[in-house]
Amino acid sequence: MKFEWFVASRYLLSQRKQSFISIISVISIVGVSLGVATVILVIAVLDGVEHGLRDRFLANEAHVAVSKIDRGFFNNYEDRIEAIKKVDGVVAASPVVYTQSAIFQKGSQSIQDVIYIKGIDPEVEDTVTGFSKFVEGSVDFQDQKIIDRASFINDESVTGGIVLGARLAKNLTLHQGDILRLVVKLEEDNHSPGAFLPRIRNFVVIGFYESELAVYDSRMAFIHVDTAQKIYQQEGNINVILVRLEDPELAPTIGDELIEVSSFNTIDMPITTTWLDTHAPLFAALELEKIATVIIEALIILVAAFNIASTLIMTVMEKTRDVGTLRTLGASRGNIMLIFMIQGCVIGMLGTLLGTALGLGVCKLLSTNVIRPSPLIAYALVVLLIIFQICVTLKFILSKTKLRNIVMLLFWILGIAFILYCLVQPISLKELGLSEIYQMNQLPIKINWFFVGFINLLSFSICWLATIYPAFQASNMRPIEALQYE
Amino acid sequence: MENLIKVENESLIRVVNLEKSFFDGDSELKVLRGVDLEVDKSEILAIMGASGAGKSTLLHLIGTLDRPTSGTIYYEDEDITTYSERELTQFRNTSVGFVFQFHQLLPEFNALENVVMGKLISNRKSGYTDGRQLTRNEMYDRAETLLGSVGLSERLTHFPSQLSGGERQRVAIARALMNEPKVILADEPTGNIDDITSEVVFDILLRVNEELNQTIIIVTHDSRLSDQTNRTVNLVEGKISY
Repeated sequence: MKFEWFVASRYLLSQRKQSFISIISVISIVGVSLGVATVILVIAVLDGVEHGLRDRFLANEAHVAVSKIDRGFFNNYEDRIEAIKKVDGVVAASPVVYTQSAIFQKGSQSIQDVIYIKGIDPEVEDTVTGFSKFVEGSVDFQDQKIIDRASFINDESVTGGIVLGARLAKNLTLHQGDILRLVVKLEEDNHSPGAFLPRIRNFVVIGFYESELAVYDSRMAFIHVDTAQKIYQQEGNINVILVRLEDPELAPTIGDELIEVSSFNTIDMPITTTWLDTHAPLFAALELEKIATVIIEALIILVAAFNIASTLIMTVMEKTRDVGTLRTLGASRGNIMLIFMIQGCVIGMLGTLLGTALGLGVCKLLSTNVIRPSPLIAYALVVLLIIFQICVTLKFILSKTKLRNIVMLLFWILGIAFILYCLVQPISLKELGLSEIYQMNQLPIKINWFFVGFINLLSFSICWLATIYPAFQASNMRPIEALQYE
Repeated sequence: MENLIKVENESLIRVVNLEKSFFDGDSELKVLRGVDLEVDKSEILAIMGASGAGKSTLLHLIGTLDRPTSGTIYYEDEDITTYSERELTQFRNTSVGFVFQFHQLLPEFNALENVVMGKLISNRKSGYTDGRQLTRNEMYDRAETLLGSVGLSERLTHFPSQLSGGERQRVAIARALMNEPKVILADEPTGNIDDITSEVVFDILLRVNEELNQTIIIVTHDSRLSDQTNRTVNLVEGKISY
């Protein structure tokens, strides 16, 4: 093995007189690096998006919602909640009146939007969805000070407080203390048959709900569950029970049990909706996107591997006479095969490792919590690099080592990476104006180490496979033909 | 009886009725048509002949670089034509040293590395150190000594491209000697260099033969060289003519 390494490394490192990694090996290495780096980066972003969404969903939503199949109301819900709480794996459960309402502002003559209204008990709700964590302002729906003040200023009766999704409030330019009108019910007009009159209730904006999930922030408002029961004339009843589980992944299995315990009689027919059901299309789309990405990126690495193969085929052709000479000196076919496989594998390995480093480095740069060293460090580093280069050029250091150029190359790559690290601002989706689309403000990065390992293995295997044909070709040459090759 | 004969004439190589044909599609080109040849130990033998007579082919067959169509080659009464690929590879490494017309040095390696290469491939036991394997330092020391003995002690770290034609050929001779082969096979060793340099190279070959008792077979068409060898055979139309 020593002899093969000796020859292979010489072929890799020197192109006749020039004692640098031969340019063709560098190109192959860069090809593999870029493939590996992009796949790591892209998957980190996709994983980041998935996990970001997932975390936000889980923070904002109950894991399971129990409702009636006809969306009707449950009576004696307290008993049902108690029954649900006794199920293994259930952490908490809360009663909710979930409806839709048309809304309009004071002074407006027409409906401005139709939104979801969630009637909740804030204290119980906190145990299930962490509601108040996301609210800016008050969560006391019966905050008399605000209600009285709004009622006095506007000279109108006010039913209670309402917490509005932050984006919704922004779109409607509503501030704390403003009045919002909800169409809570349509009633038949006794005076003209077939016509309906809206029953309208006034609410005063007491707070804003900001979860960074556009679905909620722009389409949701919260009122107290008691108020909701009153305005929808469902006193003592609720239509949704929200449940929090110890392990959200168990939602589908525990859901079935919840149906059983919450069904008090045959006409109840409760159903469950898990957070996974709610977002199934989104997660499926993300998963598909990931698979497609991996395939495309694997193709990039494959192209890079073809690059290695053609590099090796060229090397084999160029070294045909050398192969003949080595064979006359008693090198076996196995020896020859190894020489060329080592070359390809070293290229593949270097490319893979550099690509991994590059990919992880850029991930690090893009991730939000980068501690930014002062740019001064970057400038100092530039100076240091130049001094280092001068010392090497003038042969003060490293002059005697054969690996001088590799050390130099590594030093520069690491140096530049660190300089970038010092200088580059973490990319902000908000700044790019993409936060609406991705429903989050920062480009999320999540590195899946298992996947990084997998892609390393894949890349190296592809490169290794690429070496087999050229190496076999070299080893298969008859010594006499190789010697006479022109 | 066979033992007796062997001791009597100290034959190293015995070629018996060797034939070699090359095929190009259906047409057959008979290059060697039954060569019989015996080479004694410590002998320096010249094989002469017109171009195309099959001199190089014969040398390649003796050097196990190619397999004969028929016939046998004995090295010290061992039939090497029956050797497997693996055995032939090892045999080339330990028992044969080549010197080619176009030196065939590895351009990426300096003179010292070129000489040491054969030993690096397979560090087999040899007579040089009483049958033990060489350490890395010993290998390089030996290569240095060999290069010194061909007058290149000042050129150890020069690459082939930095050496003259004669110097390259001397490196090639040193390389051929590295593994203490049974025989050195030289294929037109002076065919590619000028007359004066030729003489230097040839003198070295003669000296190697004399001082080391090294068996050498030289293929050449230069009669001035063949005059100085122990024996000369002519290859005419694929047969040895005495």
